[in-house]
Amino acid sequence: MLRYALQSLKARKAGFIGAFLALMCAAALVTACGGLLETGLRGEIGTERYSGTPVVVAADQNVHHVTKKKGKNKDKAKPLDERVWLPSVTRERIEAAPGVGAVVPEADFPAYVVGSNGRIFGGPDGKESSGHAWASAELTPFRIDKGTPPRTDHEIVIDRGLASRAGLAPGDKVTVQATGLPSTYTVAGIATTPGGDLKEQAAVFFSSDEARRLAGHLGQEAVIGVLPKEGVSTGELAKAVGKALGESSHEQVSTGGDRGRVEFLGAAKARGKLISMGGAIGAIGLLVAVLVVSGTFALSIQQRRREIALLRAVAATPRQVRRLIGREAACVGFAAGLLGAAAGLPLASWLHGKFVGFGTIPETLKLVRSPFPVLAAMAATLFAAWAAARISARRISRIRPAEAMSEAAIEGDRLPWGRLVAGGIALAGGVVLFVVLAALHTEPASMPVTYLAVLVISIGLALLGPLTAKGALAVLGVPLRLSRVAGYLAAHNARANAKRLAAVITPLTLLVGMSSTIIFVQTTLGNAAEHQVRGGVTADWVVDSTGPGVPGAVADRIRGLPGVRAVTEIVHTSVRTPGLDKYSVQGVTPRGLASTMDLKVTEGSLDRLGGHAVAVSDVVANSKGLHPGDTMKLLLGDGTPVTVSVVAVYKRGLGFGDLTTAHDLVAGHIDNPLSDSVLVAAGGGAKRDTVREQLAAVVRDFPGAVVTGSGRMADRQATTHEENAEVNYVAMGLIVAFTAIASVNTLAMSTADRSREFALLRLAGMTRRQVLRMLRLEALTVALTAIVLGTGTSSATLTSFSIGMTGEAAPAMSPMIYLTIVAAAAALALSATVLPGRITLRSNPTDTIAD
Amino acid sequence: MLSGMPQAVRLDSVTKIYGGAGRGGRDVRALDTVSVAIPPGTFTAVMGPSGSGKSTFLHCAAGLDSLTSGACWIGGIALGGMNETQLTKLRRMHVGFVFQAYNLVSSLTVRDNIILPLRLSGERVDRGWLEEVLARVGLTGKANARPSQLSGGQQQRVAIARALITRPHVIFGDEPTGALDTVTARDILTLLRSCVDATGQTVVMVTHDPVAASYADTVLFLADGRIADRMQSPSADRVADRMTHLGAWA
Repeated sequence: MLRYALQSLKARKAGFIGAFLALMCAAALVTACGGLLETGLRGEIGTERYSGTPVVVAADQNVHHVTKKKGKNKDKAKPLDERVWLPSVTRERIEAAPGVGAVVPEADFPAYVVGSNGRIFGGPDGKESSGHAWASAELTPFRIDKGTPPRTDHEIVIDRGLASRAGLAPGDKVTVQATGLPSTYTVAGIATTPGGDLKEQAAVFFSSDEARRLAGHLGQEAVIGVLPKEGVSTGELAKAVGKALGESSHEQVSTGGDRGRVEFLGAAKARGKLISMGGAIGAIGLLVAVLVVSGTFALSIQQRRREIALLRAVAATPRQVRRLIGREAACVGFAAGLLGAAAGLPLASWLHGKFVGFGTIPETLKLVRSPFPVLAAMAATLFAAWAAARISARRISRIRPAEAMSEAAIEGDRLPWGRLVAGGIALAGGVVLFVVLAALHTEPASMPVTYLAVLVISIGLALLGPLTAKGALAVLGVPLRLSRVAGYLAAHNARANAKRLAAVITPLTLLVGMSSTIIFVQTTLGNAAEHQVRGGVTADWVVDSTGPGVPGAVADRIRGLPGVRAVTEIVHTSVRTPGLDKYSVQGVTPRGLASTMDLKVTEGSLDRLGGHAVAVSDVVANSKGLHPGDTMKLLLGDGTPVTVSVVAVYKRGLGFGDLTTAHDLVAGHIDNPLSDSVLVAAGGGAKRDTVREQLAAVVRDFPGAVVTGSGRMADRQATTHEENAEVNYVAMGLIVAFTAIASVNTLAMSTADRSREFALLRLAGMTRRQVLRMLRLEALTVALTAIVLGTGTSSATLTSFSIGMTGEAAPAMSPMIYLTIVAAAAALALSATVLPGRITLRSNPTDTIAD
Repeated sequence: MLSGMPQAVRLDSVTKIYGGAGRGGRDVRALDTVSVAIPPGTFTAVMGPSGSGKSTFLHCAAGLDSLTSGACWIGGIALGGMNETQLTKLRRMHVGFVFQAYNLVSSLTVRDNIILPLRLSGERVDRGWLEEVLARVGLTGKANARPSQLSGGQQQRVAIARALITRPHVIFGDEPTGALDTVTARDILTLLRSCVDATGQTVVMVTHDPVAASYADTVLFLADGRIADRMQSPSADRVADRMTHLGAWA
């Protein structure tokens, strides 16, 4: 049987090439996504700062939520976005442990060198720059290359990379923007590490007192490094430290590859992103593969009707034929899986590179290479092929052996009940997903549902394909008949072969639906957020920073200017609820907020904002059932628990944040306490131009700060969103490319099979040009049907998405992009039909008939 | 039941009605209470004008299609009540087929095509018998060729070899010479005739060619789904004459 399957494959390469290509792409996709997924799950983040410290103690960065399920406690943990600091007493507990040679506490805060022209110098390639105490230089270890360590609070040591970028030498005076006012320091020395210059960051070392002052967090340490006594191994030391700290899970002892996680907090977020993205693309790719491949298999079975009828007549039971098809599928799946997985390895590197390029994941999070994704991809491809064969095998049972003797293979006319019911269920499932989607308010939750909805609807349309095709053709047939010969034939052909047409309409529909959904989900979201910000910023000017942020002193100076009515400092962070929900937060200066920002309050008032009184967006209010006067428990960015009371509910949450709190509530709990922006409103009858000039004069004293118009906030929102969207475009673009390949090969396969029909038409007197014209009309009919169906699917999905995310049924579809998608689909359909048609028509019609 | 050896093929009041339900058309009575017994070791030709029920007769007698009413036996085995798988197994072991065209699986060699029924039933191939069958149909040395490398006549020989390999109760032919030139057709008919004469094989062949029918022992004439006549030891002229009366060429 296997031999027969192989022989049959060898002889019918053309018929299987479609399935083979689709499966190969799926395998490549799954391998690449598997690589990302695995990197997210167990990728190691190399440490740079703690290279010289075998054991690092840090606070637990996660919020834990314990739920009881079937008598078992289930601990769910989600990371916080800001660093959780350790109490300083932890030091003494560690010092008590045996084998400990030295305990080195580490402070960590943003610190940027400012050049003479106001230029801000960060790490290499725009990476971050952090300030530390020179006392903790040992952790890397840093050694003085030139100059001396800082001896006073006005001296600093910088790393050699930074020194060469900024052109600094020992003795130079330089401004440093850390967490407070920018101040001038003298460069006392330049330091290097045994590993050469820093690649992931820049380091600025202060005296211990100065570092403590700048870091804030009184009585707390960011990280504690532990160095062993001589002869004590890392394992022993870690064990001893763990024992000394007791069973409390609040402190975490890290060694080896785990240290990178302590150093780069952003990497945890990146892991989450990789896991969700890898999973989503892989799963959708696999589903698309099953859908497309079952289509190509169905087509190839249709084309082999006679052979199968012969087999059935002569010797083979229905089960044997099904098994044969199954084995063929398995062989195709195996070969495609092997090649695809091989192609997936470079694809994984490429994707990883793109993600690093977009800044979604840090470069330190290296791609994990293991055989698992390859094996998973091969298993998944085999499964997809098997599933597709199973799905199309139902047709085999309906091929009657007596057909072996009849001259023409005629398509069955009626759709079987099972398929109708399955199609109905899929469509109903899609509608359910729309309803679900309209009730989802967060991007990570609704994104996968969005793609799933498009897929489920497409599956429904595929199952009911012949019906949809007939319906569409009944409408399109009218204009087609205007063309006397080609159009007339095209319309009749289409109607008579609805099933074949359905097979090519399905992938094209998916292509149009998927690509427009992927793109317009982003524009819908981006437009809504941008729109809210543009409408919500009522201030006259925005003071922004090209560096780490705007210091509080700038805001204070601006407040003192005559003609300035209100100044609002804004910081952004996130909080979690004890139930692990994550909310974005803007911390704002409550005084005068009404004249700088309009959040569209629907309940309560922002007048009482301040202290522990906060405002929540309507999305949060609805999902938690909150009203003014209610209280809620929150964990601030660094894990500090607070109980806040709600004073207002507002509409513009998408643009400004889920929660709005007083600046003071959150500013002490974020890594970078500098303001992201400062809004300034003029008032009191002063001339705007005068105020603006004074504003500019104030800002001039602060490096990196710039005065811009009020539209700046919205522009920034748009840019940030664009950057996030790009990652999605790249990832989902792969799915689109995959679907395009699948559409093309289905179309080509379907056309190449019609050589006999074309030969007959030509013998009946049609010219080659007329046949091609007929083909073009057919292709356009197919494309048009697919465009209508795909557009319908995506606009329904986008509407539900838009209702859920923005509260309004307002999907934003850019006409230019939409037209591009439509044109691409039509071009794809035309070329994939006409090119094989041309090749088929090249042969002599009499020869074709004789074959 | 008849006494002694069972008939190779027996039909008893077989009626086959094709429903016209799908297109709102009326029912077609393709076979109308046909009863016939074909003894083993004979060569029977089935003739009749288009639409007379020839093909339906073949489908029903060979277990390719279900009966509306009546009963059918192959080598004494009743086909009634068998499901598709059982029918397939019966056909595999007891019935051989030679169609007009598209007889062979193009991806398989001559040998693989011939032993296909054996392979599908999981039986061992008797090499000696395979060689003998190949020799009998005149394809010795062609075992490794592909169907596409053979002429039309040679392809029909492969089909006959495949039909012979299982030593079936009966071989059904559906216009086996319909796509061949006269000379080749004569060779194929002679081959079929020799199968009957030399090994006692039973052959039932549907044809519209009086010359082909003249190779048979008996000719059954079908018209409007009924057996209109039968003729022993036919000659081409007599068959043609009879067909003219049936209105075949009217």
